[in-house]
Amino acid sequence: MIEALRKKAEELLKNKTVDVVYGYGEGSVPERTRPVFITKPEDVNKLTWNKYCVYNLTTYLKKQESRKLGKPAIVVKGCDAKTITVLIKESQIKREDIYIIGVTCTGIGDPPATKCKACDVNTPLIYDELIGEKIGNKEFSFEERYAELDEYEKLSEQEKWDFWQKQFEKCIKCYACSSICPLCFCDRCIVDKNQPQWIDPSAHPRGNLSWNVTRAYHLAGRCINCEECQRVCPADIPLNLLNKKLAKETEKNFKYRSGYNVDDELAMATYKEDDNQDFIK
Amino acid sequence: MSKKIGVFVCHCGTNISATVDVEKVAEETKKNNPRVAYTTTYKYMCSDPGQKLLRDKIKEEGLTGVVVAACSPKMHEHTFRNAAVKTGLNPYHVEISNIREQCSWVHPDIPTGTDKSIDLVRMMTEKTRKDKSLTAIKVPVTKRALVIGGGIAGIQAALDIADGGQEVVMVEREASIGGHMAQLSETFPTLDCSQCIMTPKMVEAAQHDNITMYTWSEIESITGYLGNFDVKIRKKARSVDLDLCTGCSSCWQVCPCKKIKSEFDMGIGNRTAIYIPFPQAIPSKPVIDRENCILFKDARKKNIKPNDSKVCRKCIDACPIAPVKAIDYNQEDEIVDVKIGAIIVATGFRELEDGLYGEYGGGKYEDVITGLQFERLASASGPTEGKIKRPSDGKEPEIVVFIQCVGSRDPAKGCSYCSKTCCMYTAKHTMLYKHKVHDGHAFVFYIDIRCAGKSYEEFSQRAIEEEGATYLRGRVSRVYKKGEKLIVLGADTLTGSVVEIEADMVVLASAMKAQDDAEQFAQKLSIQYDKDKFFSEMHPKLKPVESSSAGIFLAGTCQGPKDIPETVAQAGAAASKVLALLSSDELEREPVVARVDRQLPPVFSTCIGCFYCQKVCPYSAIESEDIKARDGSVIKTVARVNEGLCQGCGLCAATCRSKSVELEGFNDEQIYAEINALEFN
Repeated sequence: MIEALRKKAEELLKNKTVDVVYGYGEGSVPERTRPVFITKPEDVNKLTWNKYCVYNLTTYLKKQESRKLGKPAIVVKGCDAKTITVLIKESQIKREDIYIIGVTCTGIGDPPATKCKACDVNTPLIYDELIGEKIGNKEFSFEERYAELDEYEKLSEQEKWDFWQKQFEKCIKCYACSSICPLCFCDRCIVDKNQPQWIDPSAHPRGNLSWNVTRAYHLAGRCINCEECQRVCPADIPLNLLNKKLAKETEKNFKYRSGYNVDDELAMATYKEDDNQDFIK
Repeated sequence: MSKKIGVFVCHCGTNISATVDVEKVAEETKKNNPRVAYTTTYKYMCSDPGQKLLRDKIKEEGLTGVVVAACSPKMHEHTFRNAAVKTGLNPYHVEISNIREQCSWVHPDIPTGTDKSIDLVRMMTEKTRKDKSLTAIKVPVTKRALVIGGGIAGIQAALDIADGGQEVVMVEREASIGGHMAQLSETFPTLDCSQCIMTPKMVEAAQHDNITMYTWSEIESITGYLGNFDVKIRKKARSVDLDLCTGCSSCWQVCPCKKIKSEFDMGIGNRTAIYIPFPQAIPSKPVIDRENCILFKDARKKNIKPNDSKVCRKCIDACPIAPVKAIDYNQEDEIVDVKIGAIIVATGFRELEDGLYGEYGGGKYEDVITGLQFERLASASGPTEGKIKRPSDGKEPEIVVFIQCVGSRDPAKGCSYCSKTCCMYTAKHTMLYKHKVHDGHAFVFYIDIRCAGKSYEEFSQRAIEEEGATYLRGRVSRVYKKGEKLIVLGADTLTGSVVEIEADMVVLASAMKAQDDAEQFAQKLSIQYDKDKFFSEMHPKLKPVESSSAGIFLAGTCQGPKDIPETVAQAGAAASKVLALLSSDELEREPVVARVDRQLPPVFSTCIGCFYCQKVCPYSAIESEDIKARDGSVIKTVARVNEGLCQGCGLCAATCRSKSVELEGFNDEQIYAEINALEFN
């Protein structure tokens, strides 16, 4: 698989189909990988693929530094590929401006990441070239997809509030969650707006609450649950729990799952007469 | 420079002062807010002396911001802003704190009402501190109106505008103008012939120098905004050249397809495949019904051009125009572009489908007909030439049962509303019937008789007392066939008895419904519609002809069921609005519009171009703009608000994640100041 990947990257660079390949490279220890940006055909051996390739490289599609390298080919797992679908829908990239190298994936991380338990995109839904044997994507029921929320949803409203208060107290406002998030692509985040200052920038409970809630709301109906925010959070806040809960509510109310189909209308920007409105009270 | 704010608290007679201690509101506001330089109360702020007080104090006290605590800004914001303008103050430094609709009217006691008023006034003074001077937006006006629909509403509106000296483009989707009114036999309450009063108007509209008429045409798209609409009109292929055709009738006399149900006769008469809908049609030139014409059917089957089909060419052979025939089988749809300043929507209604009332035999028995079908039976130009004959066997019906409220006032069938015209037209039907069948019997089942209108009550009484129609108060449960008779089972709730009538014909007073495509059409125009798909007026009382979009007006039954006098009056009102609008070269618009952030390089704009705003905008006011470098390369694609289209609803501002869209007059700082005023006090 690695060989096929390198060969494809070499071919793309040699033919000048793309200027740069975003991929995974060996890390400092065997259990780590790092993002690499290959611009020369002779460097393709730096590319690798293994179960430690956790990063969602699509986040580099929003970074000025990587965009300057020119037209990219990007190595994506099924989950990461969903991001590209959202980015296309939200006018951030054009499909023809990137080359997608999809890799089939049976799970990453050690122990395996939570998102891999009910993965229905072992084979990416969108790609130009597929590396690895095509795997028939599994289907999961609504309950199975959101099984990780079972424990949380048993809590009472007060318990939920206490739980999040406790979690958000830990937040140090480092904004790693939004830096890593491929869908937090605004040039100026609402937190950077100071006239007026909607969100208190200091790391105290009130500002932390508004930041974390706003971050999650801004991803409602958009987040594809790559879990990168949770992975990078130095305070170990279970951010994906929030994201997942909002994804569940979006699916329940609007029958919409983010990242699955380029032609679906965006749940949060579309009004339909038969939209469920029970939750508005 | 900090602002000097004056607060004027209105008593509104006792409307406010009954549950709000206005003196205390003024006192507390002065005491607790250092920026408030002056406060007072007045019995009626909106009165002339009230406005004078406002003007005088602005000058005397040197006020640079004003809060009027009174009724809803919808009522008097304009009044007070105008008063302020006279003193030289920019009107957008005047704010209304609504302590009536949102306070005194909803709170029962003085302490609650007063406390809340103090909070509301404080919020508004904080907002006023952040108010900026705004200037009205000026937009040029294209001096041409579009009237959509060629029924009586459209014709009247077009004539009024044209007589006022402005150009009108009129679009009608049927082959002739005239609409439903042209189908009617006589009209209530005077029983004058509908065609006789309608056709002069049709002719006048057709011949008017200022009116350009497009029949057999539909609106393809409407873009642009108040004063500057770009309209695309689809001229559907008529297969007949309107310039060449003289309407001599040779073609439709020879057409072999004679058994097509006539839409104009509501299906009880027939027409040919090349036809004019009715004798007085305007233009009096035919159209080919491509669905039913055997030549077009053949061409579709063989997948050839219509003109290459040789199945039947009778009409073109009969056409006496030479050398080029007036009939062109290969004619295609044509798109016409027009620039328009204001639009009147007069698209009318349709009758409730008759199959909906299975229990009355609607759509099942030939002799159960709808109100409009009865009109065609009674009309001199109808299939029976005005003789009342039942459709099944052509016999004169001896007993006719009229059933009112078929569909109307029946939420179970989807119309909770009253169709308003049925009581009157049923009374008229009984008279028309009795005038033509002297010894016939007319029975009417009704829920209530609603005949409010000039001479209306007298008219319905005449039907009962002079013409001898039997009115029975109650519903019909069932109509079924027994031999040649229709058995009508109903109740007479006044005597408490069950009624069974052996009728020869049943006439259903079917509800008036919105056009089938009303919803899609409203979306095309970005105007609002109600639950029944009738187009919504801007204000049910004070803006009855304005739609929710600036520059688009409503006339006739597309806005709700109404009769002819009301329709004509509304059309005239809409026309006068259009004339007022087209009378100036430039229009002033409220500057309460959204703006997308723009900054100096290298940021250019904090907008990231996700275009959620564009997707949520109900007025299609958001465009995309490429910010380009000097060499022409695109640096960034961002959103931009078209000021002409924007109605200032603020959806875009609420949707924007990076807060890059702000609504002028309601910007983030102003809203934030209001919220803060509430939180920290």
